[in-house]
Parts: sequence; C-alpha cells; structure tokens
Amino acid sequence: MKPSANLEGEQAAVHFDVVSKRFDDVVALNDVTLGIGRSEFVTLLGPSGCGKTTLLKLAAGFLGPDGGSISIEGKRVNDIPTYQRGIGMMFQNYALFPHMSVAENVAYGLKTRRVPRAERDKRVADALALVKLMGMENRKPRQLSGGQQQRVALARALVINPTVLLLDEPFSALDKSLRSSMQVELREIQRKLGLTTIFVTHDQGEALSMSDRMAVMSEGRIRQLGSPVDVYRSPADPFVASFVGDNNRLRGQLVSIQAEQAIVALGDALVQVPGERLSGLEKSAAVDLFVRPEQFRIVAPGEPCVIKGSVVAQIYQGGHVDLQIECSGSVGDRLLVRSPGEQAVLRWPMGAPVGVAIQADRCSVFPAA
Amino acid sequence: MTPRSTYQKVLGWIGLLTVFVIVAFLILPAAVVTIAAFNDKPILSFPPQTWSWRWFGRALAYEDFRQGFFNGLIVTTWSSTIALCVGGMFAFVIDRYEFPLKSAIEGILISPLVIPHFTVGLGFLILAAQVGLSRGFAIVVICHVILVLPFVLRSVYVSLRNLDQSYEHAASSLGAGPLRVLATVTLPLLLPGLVSGWLFAAILSFNEFTASLFVTSQRTQTLPVAMYNYVREFADPSMAALSVMYIVGTAALIAFANAFLGLGKVLNIEQSH
Amino acid sequence: MNQQPFVRIFTAPATLCAVGFLAAMAAVLQYSLRAYVPGSLDPGGLTLANFADLLKPLYARVFLDTVVVCAMTAVVTLIVGYPLAYALVRVEQPILRSILLVIVVTPLFLGEVVRTYAWIIVLGNNGFINSLLMSLGLIGKPLQLMFTSFGVVVALVHVTLPVMVIMLAAGLSHIDRDYPRAAESLGAGPIRVFLTVTLPLSLPGVVAGTTTAFAWTFSAFATPQLIGGGRVNMISNLVYQLGFSSFNFPFAATLCVAGLALTALVLGLLRLASRPLRKIEVH
Repeated sequence: MKPSANLEGEQAAVHFDVVSKRFDDVVALNDVTLGIGRSEFVTLLGPSGCGKTTLLKLAAGFLGPDGGSISIEGKRVNDIPTYQRGIGMMFQNYALFPHMSVAENVAYGLKTRRVPRAERDKRVADALALVKLMGMENRKPRQLSGGQQQRVALARALVINPTVLLLDEPFSALDKSLRSSMQVELREIQRKLGLTTIFVTHDQGEALSMSDRMAVMSEGRIRQLGSPVDVYRSPADPFVASFVGDNNRLRGQLVSIQAEQAIVALGDALVQVPGERLSGLEKSAAVDLFVRPEQFRIVAPGEPCVIKGSVVAQIYQGGHVDLQIECSGSVGDRLLVRSPGEQAVLRWPMGAPVGVAIQADRCSVFPAA
Repeated sequence: MTPRSTYQKVLGWIGLLTVFVIVAFLILPAAVVTIAAFNDKPILSFPPQTWSWRWFGRALAYEDFRQGFFNGLIVTTWSSTIALCVGGMFAFVIDRYEFPLKSAIEGILISPLVIPHFTVGLGFLILAAQVGLSRGFAIVVICHVILVLPFVLRSVYVSLRNLDQSYEHAASSLGAGPLRVLATVTLPLLLPGLVSGWLFAAILSFNEFTASLFVTSQRTQTLPVAMYNYVREFADPSMAALSVMYIVGTAALIAFANAFLGLGKVLNIEQSH
Repeated sequence: MNQQPFVRIFTAPATLCAVGFLAAMAAVLQYSLRAYVPGSLDPGGLTLANFADLLKPLYARVFLDTVVVCAMTAVVTLIVGYPLAYALVRVEQPILRSILLVIVVTPLFLGEVVRTYAWIIVLGNNGFINSLLMSLGLIGKPLQLMFTSFGVVVALVHVTLPVMVIMLAAGLSHIDRDYPRAAESLGAGPIRVFLTVTLPLSLPGVVAGTTTAFAWTFSAFATPQLIGGGRVNMISNLVYQLGFSSFNFPFAATLCVAGLALTALVLGLLRLASRPLRKIEVH
C-alpha cells in the first residue's frame, strides 16, 4: 500500500484512523486506516467476513469502534449517534418503510430536520425527479418493482444532502441487466452532486467498474488501496492477485534478479518478469507467477512456447472463448486461457495438444507462500 | 396435481377419515350443547321434544351472568392492556439488549405457563391477605396480568424477531433520534403483533377460571366463575344457551383474528417452503 | 452507537411484575411451612408437619391419581393430536385450512368451564351418548360415564387437544418439505417417508406438546371437579377444598409446593429423556 494514496485527516471527508473492532473473540477490523477524499467514490471490496460491512457500520454509527477514531468532515464522530451524523445510506434490501408512501419515505429525513412543509414538498419532488420517479408519490413500496424501490431508496438518501453517502451492497437484489444500468445511473448522479461515497460490495466486477479508488480487504485489514487499474494491473499481494479478476498461479524458481527485472524458470523455459516484489530473495527460491487469462497465447505444439499441454475444456462465452489447458509439466495443474473472438472453438478442439506462450512482462510475481 | 398411486390414494382416504373423526370429536360438545340449548324442557333429554329460544332470554337476564360479564370486561380490559405495555416493552429490551438479570426476569415471567393456575391463584390470595389488600378488582387484575404475560411476551417477541432492523437503521441514518425511530418506524411495523398479542391476552383473561376462582369475591367474580357456580347448583339449559353464545362469540373473534392477522403466523405454524 | 436508550424504563415494569409474582410464590412457600390453627385464618408457627402429612395414604393416593390422569391424558392427546396437526400443516386450500384452524383453536379460548359443562351434557346419564345408544337399542340402561376416570380423561383430552395440535403443527411446519421429497425421490413409499423422515424430525414438537399437555392437565380444576364429582380427585380439587371448605391454607400451600416439585420432576425427566433429540432440531 502506498502511504501517499492515503489522505491525511484534515483533507479527508471521511477518515478512519487506526480503527479496530472485535466481536467476542473474532477480530473484525485490525487497525484500519483509510482516508476518503471529498467527492470521491471509494469501494470496499472483499469476501464475506473481511470487515467491509463492519467498516461501513462504523461510519454510519450502527456500531462503535473498540479502538482508533473515525472523523467525518474533520470532526471526530466516535461518540456521535447515527442520527446526528448527517449521513445518507442505502441498504441491501433498501429498507423502505412499508407503512409509508414513496413521498413519505423520501420526506422522512426532512421531517426529522424540521424542514418547513413547502420546502419539504419541493425537495421531495426534486429528488424524485432526479431518480426519474415522478408520479409515483402515493404508491406504497410494495407496489414498486425492484429497480423503482432502489430509486426511492436513493432519493431518500440524497434528499437530505448528506455529507457522505453509504451504500451497502445496494445492487445485490437486482437482476443482471437492471444492475448495470442502475450502476451507471448512480455513478452519474454521484458525480453530478459531487457526493463523497463509500460503497461496499463483494462483487469485484462492480468494484472495478464503479470506483475512483477501491480498498481490497481481507481478514480485517486493507490489503491494497488504489485505482481499479492499479489494483488489476499490479496487485499488492497474492490475495489481491487471486481475488480481483481471474488469475492463474504458476510455481517457478528464481534464476537471477537485476533491478526491475528478474529471470524465472518455469519448468524448462526461462521467462523475464517484473522483479520489484522479489528484492532480497535468494537465487533458486520458489516464486509464484500470477498470469491473467488474457496474458496467455495459445500456439501450435511446434512453435516456441513456455508450457505444453492439451485442451480439456472449452467454455464458449460469446465474445471470447475460455480454454482450460491441462499441463504436462510441474508449473501448475490447469491453466485458464482467454482467447478473443470465437475461432478458438474450432482451432483448438478438445484433446488437441497445444503450446502456451506468456506475455511475461505484465504478470505479477511474488515469493512463494 | 401430483401423480399418485392407488396405494397412496387409499392411504389418503384413511388419513382423511381419521382427521374427520378427530374433528368430529372436537366439535361434538359444541354441537350437543347447541341442541341442548334449544330444548324447551328444563330437564336434559335427547333429542328434545319441543324447541324454544327461552333459555337464551333466561341466560341474558340472569343477574350473576350479567355481573360476571361486566366484571370480566373490567378485568380483561385492564389486565390485557397492562400486560401488553409491560410485555411489549420487556420483549423489546430482551430482543435488543444484554443487561444483568435479563434471563432471570424473563424466566420468572414465562414460568406461569407451567405453574398450575390454582397455585398462582392461592399465591396471590395469600399475598393479598399478607399485604392487607382487600379482595377487590386490583388483585384479580394483577393475577391475570401475570397469567397472560407469557403469551404477550411471546407474541411481541416473535414480531420483533421478524422485524428487519435495517428499517430502524434507515430511520436513524435519516436523522431520527431513538424516540422518533420507536414512534414512527418500530411501533407501526409492530402493530399487527401488538394487536394480536392484546387479543390473545384478552381472550385468555376473559376465560381464565381456576386462578380467578381463588382471587375473586362475590362482588368481583368473572363470568367463568359465575358459570361454574351455576353449573354446581342448577341443571336447566340456561347454561347451555350461554355456552352457545360464548362459543359463537369466541369463534367469531378467532375467525376475525385469522382473517386480519393471520393466526398461523401468530401461532408459528406456517409451513416453511 | 451502542447506547441502550430504553433499557431501564422498559425493564422496570417487567421487573415489578416478576417481583410481585415471586412474592406470591414465596407466600405459598412460607404458608406451606406454617402450622394450621383450626378455626383461624391466620397460620401458626413454623413446622414441617405439613410435609409429613403428605405421606398419609389419602394424599399419596390423590398424587398418584393426578399423575396417572395427567399421563393418560398427555399420551391420548398426542395420539389424537398428531394426525390433526399433520393435516393442518399439509392442507393446501386456504379456506379449508382456515376452517380447520378455527375449529382447532376456538376450544383453546373457550375456557375450562364451558367445555366441561358441554361434556357433562354429552356424558351424563340422560346425556347425548347414553340417549343415542339407548334409542339405538344397544344398551338397556345408561352407561356410567360421569364420575369416572374415563370421563375425566376424555374431557381433559378435549381441553388439551388444541394446545397439543398447535405445538405439533409448529414442529411439523418447520420441517423443510424438501426432506420428505428427497426421501421420496430415493424410492421411499409414503409410510416409510413418514416413519423415517417426518416423524423423527417432528419429535422436538412431540416433546414440547406432551410436556405442555401434562402441565395443563395438572393445572385443570373444573373438569375433575365437575366430571369427577368427588370420585376422581386431583391435587387442584384438594387444594380448593382445603382452602375454601376447611380454611386450612397452610396445608393447601404444602400441596401446591409438592405439586410444583412433582411437575418439575416430571418435566425434568421428560427433558432428560428427550436430550438426544436436540441433535436433530432443525431451524
């Protein structure tokens, strides 16, 4: 993690400073420090139980931290209850009050703030217009579709002009096509309003496509914080490499290392790889190469290649074909290879012997665990 | 329809017949009482030779029944309302918080479910004498509150369990303080559970007999006690007529509760799919 | 924030009720240790004599009768209640289901007196059953059904049936329907499915139902009093007689305490016997 990427307390809209939280004997958060800039869209990504939801609940005030401090807009909020924090939140199941109409739901936060009637009505109308739900004011939540319910939830969270918007897996209940259009729409609104946003998800595709920056979490720690491109291209450790995007892990042996470049033996073949994370490692130490499926290229058995094997599965994906290759050597068992277009289906049939070449300069290499 | 073999069909018919016989057993007393209530003669006989409505008039005019009915209303209204407030508040804190003596208090309040009513009745009778409380409505109401509290607790607790806490979280994220969350979100969403809890308590209290027999006096006796005393002294069909009114009234209340609140849910017997 | 905004205010009334109830139970316990002063409503000094009196054949007999009646009622109620609970859970049509539910639940709320009175009319010498059998020519003179254990048990089964059915149905309804379906898909016929899957999975409900039925029967007063008519006596009847006929409240309290101990013993044994079942509780 690059410390420079972490904003200091004063300039951050939301700042977690060495925050820890445990539930009985389970450590949910282990000294997490994270600064979120004004108008920034930051995603907390990780498997279930990694602490991402706990971090969001701490920001919301549903939980209190055991150690460290949390500040919003430079003000320490550890002892400030949820209802005085000025946050807006969207819940996984939307949590629209079933006994209130759409308009009453949206107006709720304005009533608690004692906004006068006339202004309240206007702001509710504006918010519903923003999420394209005019004319639905008097419906009850259960009379709306999933997508409409989500728009109401968004309007309800936005209408109070929150200092920070908290999103707890808000898309998980939507079907796939609706989900991507809602993602685009939410991001547009967030940019337009310049709203600081913390977004929790376990879906790495969602994190890559939506975030300004993403924090990949595991076992109560932030493993990497950076832009989606950084995280995908140069994962900070083996966990991030295997959790974000598809990756193949190949076991090799370090042959030599010079500044930025290292030579690694994969079976009989030698490949040149980025060496920045291998410094201090002795020669002939075991290393793990993480190679993305699109960084492989399949060649005919006679051509120069790194690994030999045969096709054991073809997965036709429309725009591209995923092939599983069973390897003969000791580098790994099965490789996932992505081939653009659809020619691969015919060109490399099941059982065909093939060679696999690697674009080694873009893969990630770590000392073997 | 699922395909079924002859063997399964036969089994199905046997099962249906069994259930039919059991339902008949359940209904039998009510049916027999209804027939008896319309018998014109003051002496029990089957089948009745002549029919009449007169015992209904007698039952409605009988002073002990009238007084018992109104006493019952007083006791029931007070005890189920108090039990709802006490039990509702306590169910809320049991569901949400940990605090000292929580399970002890809960255990004590649930225990009247397995403690015989005559013991509870005797206990309150002695207690009233010891603290110098006269045998008025107060002791009857207190006794009934204790007896119906377990049912109210359970009913409210079940609704609280089924209440998604994210509604309350959403409200507080929108700036509502604890009291406001309670008044505008929690209570409205709990309303069906509270209503059914109250109804449950009211019906039980109105019908409670054994403990009431111990703690009521001539002045405060409730309807079941009045009916018991009547059965011991008289054999005419007035009691049958009153029973019919009782059965019809209770069945109507239950059907109402089922239609509006879903009795299956309250009793926790909805099939999970 | 982890504040507990209402805990104190919301717990206070419940605590007050718990204390009141404890005081009432303590009063019973205290009276059970006091001497009976004939002709006086106030009890005498501390003594254990009441508990020694429990061993007299007269009272031991009542205890035995009570346990026998309770056990018989619980078992019969279980056998009669199971098919009904099964039907209640499995009936698909909403209307039929509602009707069945109302029929099952209504007697629960009718109270002991009304139901006992109805059984007097059914069982009496001029009652429904005897009139029916005599008019059919099956019997020459009325069967003695009133004032017998049989009559008391029949009426008590009717009293406890609703609560048994509700508890069994609660247990049955929480069995995922895919379990019996899976058994069926593996080739088990309906009886085998029931015996090997549904019945074992419903045992927690069976234990809960039987326990409650036992406790409720133990608590019954009007049924043994009116249908037993003094010839079938249960502890409840004895307590009432002692209290309101001879004003011997200390001994009535002793009987209550002994009754509680007996209930606790039986419920404890039932729970112990059902311990292996905990493993299969499904939720």
